[in-house]
Amino acid sequence: MPAIKCLRKAASVLAAAGLLAVTACAGEPDGGPVTVSVWAWYPEFQGVVDAFNASHDDIQVKWTNVGTGPDQYAKLKTAFTAGTGAPDVAMVEFQQIPTFLVLDALVDMGQHGAGEDEHLYAEWAWGQATEGDKVYAIPVDGGPMALMYRKDLFDQHKIPVPTTWDEYATAAERMKAVDPNAFIASFGSDGGWLNGLMWQAGCRPYGYSLTEARDRVTIDLTNPACEKVIEFYGGLIGRGLMATDPFFTADATAALDSGKYWTWAAAGWTPGYVAGSLKNTAGKWAVAPMPQWTKGADEQGDWGGSTFTVTKQAENPEAATVVARELFGTSDQAWEIGLNKAFLYPLVKDVAADPAFTGKAYDFFAGQKVNEIFVPVSEKLGDFNYTPFQDFVFGELNDRCAEAVAGKRGWDTVLSATQENVVNYAKQQGFTVIEPS
Amino acid sequence: MTRRRLTDHPVAGILFVLPFFLVVVVFLVVPLGYAFWLSLSSKSLALGTRFTGFDNYVRAFTDPMLLDGFLRVVVFGAVQIPVMLGIALVGALALDAITTRFAVAFRLIAFMPYAVPAVLGALMWGFLYSRTFGPFADLPTVFGGAPVDFFSAGLLLASLGNIVTWAWTGYNMIVLYSALQGVPRELYEAALIDGASQIQLAWRIKVPAIKQAIALATVFTVIGTMQFFVEPYVMSRFAPQISAGYTPNLYAYNQAFAYSDFHYSATISFTLGFVVFVAAYAFVLVSRRRRGDS
Repeated sequence: MPAIKCLRKAASVLAAAGLLAVTACAGEPDGGPVTVSVWAWYPEFQGVVDAFNASHDDIQVKWTNVGTGPDQYAKLKTAFTAGTGAPDVAMVEFQQIPTFLVLDALVDMGQHGAGEDEHLYAEWAWGQATEGDKVYAIPVDGGPMALMYRKDLFDQHKIPVPTTWDEYATAAERMKAVDPNAFIASFGSDGGWLNGLMWQAGCRPYGYSLTEARDRVTIDLTNPACEKVIEFYGGLIGRGLMATDPFFTADATAALDSGKYWTWAAAGWTPGYVAGSLKNTAGKWAVAPMPQWTKGADEQGDWGGSTFTVTKQAENPEAATVVARELFGTSDQAWEIGLNKAFLYPLVKDVAADPAFTGKAYDFFAGQKVNEIFVPVSEKLGDFNYTPFQDFVFGELNDRCAEAVAGKRGWDTVLSATQENVVNYAKQQGFTVIEPS
Repeated sequence: MTRRRLTDHPVAGILFVLPFFLVVVVFLVVPLGYAFWLSLSSKSLALGTRFTGFDNYVRAFTDPMLLDGFLRVVVFGAVQIPVMLGIALVGALALDAITTRFAVAFRLIAFMPYAVPAVLGALMWGFLYSRTFGPFADLPTVFGGAPVDFFSAGLLLASLGNIVTWAWTGYNMIVLYSALQGVPRELYEAALIDGASQIQLAWRIKVPAIKQAIALATVFTVIGTMQFFVEPYVMSRFAPQISAGYTPNLYAYNQAFAYSDFHYSATISFTLGFVVFVAAYAFVLVSRRRRGDS
């Protein structure tokens, strides 16, 4: 025991040295404006920060971009474990909210009046960011999904645009007959994307509620709605109709931009992304609603989206809450940048419904007003839960799919293997796991 | 006077050692101790932190993902290390045999990949391996073969091995070449007078003379291989076949920074460090005994 005590002392000496560096930069002179530190990785965010600072005398934002997604989360988790070093406000994606909640890292902004904002936001987004009157995150952007497709190629070969997944598979076969080097799309090794497809298929594999029981979680990955998605895509890959390049790599981008991929089940933020990265095929794409599992149905899913949270390490949670609520909030200036430069899909209902957004014609889609398709999708999105260890679940899912791609396991065992590993992990972490039988 | 006082004073010795001692304590002993202490407790997401003794070690030694990673690294090393050191040795012997201006240029070129940061090297190879942009993927099609997928499950380990070999062969070659420079030239003359060919000279005289340097290069390479991390981490963006536990070090990283399990991560790191220590020590012991030094 004395050895442990000694080590603890040494560790705290080291931590104190770190603390010094941190407190040194969190300046908050008496009487002057409060400085709130923010971590976010949106492109074009500087203008949003400038707009906030210009419109607030009492609070000033100090923004740092510490890296995208996983890079920032790694730093946040380290800071929460160390007990120091986190920013006051952090950008957090929807699927990560329960993870940071179970790490006890987020402030309930409901205490500081954030509940008033409920009417502003898309219901599904508000539902994921809050529990009852507890507000853990302020939604910013989302990723309602729709099908991006090469209109010129579909037209040229007289292949009808698929409205069901069966038609999608048929289109994939006809396309292959026309161009043996082409693929209907790529299976992108992206947990969030796959999750969006499963969401759209009616699969709700996770159940978790911090207010009901923080140590109880439902894992139900092997239900038929989830299985049909994996086996459908596995079948397309097995028949050589679908490629397996990970999304956002140079290869995948080049394939989208060269006619190698004919479709991409994309999200509300994709139009901005592709307009910037696909130059050769601009004007040849169009957006259609997602193919349905049952003809005539109207089921929808979401891929991605983010929020602002206030961390437990915030020195002034009240000021930080104001920042989280108003950085975007209903600020015209912020959304002007968010929509036209950062290409966010707005979760503020009024902004999404504004004709300036819905009526916006995209050159990339030959003048199509694609938001007319995305907005109704966002309005249709219902409840969806994530686990408090979603990184592990997505990691497992990607690794098991990779094994199936490599032929090391059948696609019909991907979800059962994932289920088993995730359940073991959850139990290891002290959760009571509910597995519907 | 001054000199005498300084060296005679008992504190002087301590003062001289102090900077080194401080660095060792702050950057080696304390982190090691802290990691070990972390590894003895568990912070489960639902239950909070509690002391669990050696439970994490039991978990580590029965964790199929970690064991797979270990096995993968061992297989990787068993192929990559002899290949790389073999090339490095042949290169060093060739450099030693030729004494033209070309040798100086060749030495520099061979050493250059080592100067490229590992992250950049891995990124660069990621593009070279690309099916769309890379110069190699379509090479077999010239002869009527199928394009190569360097990121496929079957080729991935070899693709990674190529990057490591590319980066480190030159470095090892320079180490071995430097050792060759220290061998007395009289030995070569004597051998040549005795009628030895250049090959015999290299194999019978030069290689035994630099055995210690070869052993050292091997130990360093084994240690480096066990800690295999940067290349698979960077390449995982291109290659979905690189799983969360592809190498033990990558697994430790993911446990800490993706799954927030710093305690289990510390356990893996500590176990890895221990295995590396034992492997390196065993190798030194065996190679010494072979030489008959002990």
